[in-house]
Amino acid sequence: MGNGSKLKVEICLGTTCFILGASELQDLAQYLEPELLDRVDIVGRTCLGFCKDRKFDGAPFVRLDERVVIERATVTRVTEKIKAMLKEKDAE
Amino acid sequence: MTSEPTAPYEVPSPDETFVEIECCSRTKTGETACGDDFRSVRIADEGRHIAVLSDGLGSGIKASLLSNMTTTMALEFVRRNMEIVQSAEIIMDTLPVCEYRKISYATFTVFDLLPGGLTRVVEMDNPPFIHLRNGHDLKWPADILFSERWPDRKLAISKFRMVQGDRLIAFSDGVTQAGLGSEACKFGWRREGALAYIQKLVDADPLISARELSERVVAEACTKNPQHRCIDDISCLVIYLRKPRRLRLLTGPPFNQEDDRDFAETVLNFDGHTIICGGTTANLVARELGRTISTDLKLIKYCGGLPPPSKLPGIDLVTEGILTLTECVRRLESGEYRDAPLPVSNIITFLLESDVIEFIVGTKVNEAHQDPRLPVDLEIRRNIIKKMSGILEEKYRKKVIIQYF
Repeated sequence: MGNGSKLKVEICLGTTCFILGASELQDLAQYLEPELLDRVDIVGRTCLGFCKDRKFDGAPFVRLDERVVIERATVTRVTEKIKAMLKEKDAE
Repeated sequence: MTSEPTAPYEVPSPDETFVEIECCSRTKTGETACGDDFRSVRIADEGRHIAVLSDGLGSGIKASLLSNMTTTMALEFVRRNMEIVQSAEIIMDTLPVCEYRKISYATFTVFDLLPGGLTRVVEMDNPPFIHLRNGHDLKWPADILFSERWPDRKLAISKFRMVQGDRLIAFSDGVTQAGLGSEACKFGWRREGALAYIQKLVDADPLISARELSERVVAEACTKNPQHRCIDDISCLVIYLRKPRRLRLLTGPPFNQEDDRDFAETVLNFDGHTIICGGTTANLVARELGRTISTDLKLIKYCGGLPPPSKLPGIDLVTEGILTLTECVRRLESGEYRDAPLPVSNIITFLLESDVIEFIVGTKVNEAHQDPRLPVDLEIRRNIIKKMSGILEEKYRKKVIIQYF
């Protein structure tokens, strides 16, 4: 994965996600503590398609490291998940 | 291929000429209404274009009324091929008489473009028009006609033939008299000054649009005046015969997935600009053509609450779909698009700089948009495009083609 071992944070900016909260999530970088910010790579994405997948519960969606999908994402939930995943990475 | 009724899909031939007509006006500082008026009509079945610029006596509401009446009548009389002296007399007879000046008066310039480039210009007291070809101001002999009933009014009528690349320019005296009395131009900017400026602009950008040229001339005229104020109403009308500038706007995934490939390939080998409005649509095109999309989150602060534009190699612009297009329609309708959010102003710039606009509309309904939890109404894509097409045709004189997938 690019950017060394940085955690990739993809914010879906599709219409549905955007209306249901991604418009705030796109400022995520502003809310992260500097030490967390150094370890993540935040990118915007055109519709990731989760909103059309019945498997998932609700927009907005954020995806971490191309495998973990956060539903009904908020800044708090995303931050917590980022911390947890970084901890996992450190333990490896 | 399509499951929807498809509009006849005519592709304009590359040697076809598009007649771009644009007029920029600025109101005299302190007045609420502009005393200059511009009106134009495109008569499709005759292949004819008529444009009129009029400057009403004085300024403000009174002048606005005079010029509006003049352009309305002149346009109608010319369109009905009425005898021109008689038309002018009717206009003079009809205009209300100014109670101070005891005259009724508004100048006008009529450009009447017939198929094949045949052009007739009728002028009454506006600064003489400019016919620009390859940077030269062509001068044509004019027939001067007098009205028996209004002996002090004379009409100048010129006839000539225009070719692709030619421009016609007319202005109100707010342009030629700009800066009048100032040290730099004691007699104002004058026709020669404006002409030299126009020649300089065209030399630097030989394909400059009528829209941009008219705006630049008016802006420059303003700078000639003290404190850059408009000491008179200032208008510049430009007609540009050009090779049609084409734009293809893709929005929405096709109804049938097996059409994705054909849909995506509409952006290939296209002689014009291409835009994609819709993340899913952009993903589809990227997938089919093997290209990669990137989104720059730094642009958010210019987006006024809309998702930021993305980049896709080979495509001039990629934006979100429904929200952005809805805002575009609202801005185009009101005409207030100068301070629009970045993705909206990007789209509008492309639309307005184009002559022939093709909408390629995928009609698949986005189920996620039907979610009752969504706090806003999401219009059906087809309706937005239909509305936008109507506005572009009627208000912005564009040729619009819609193809459904």
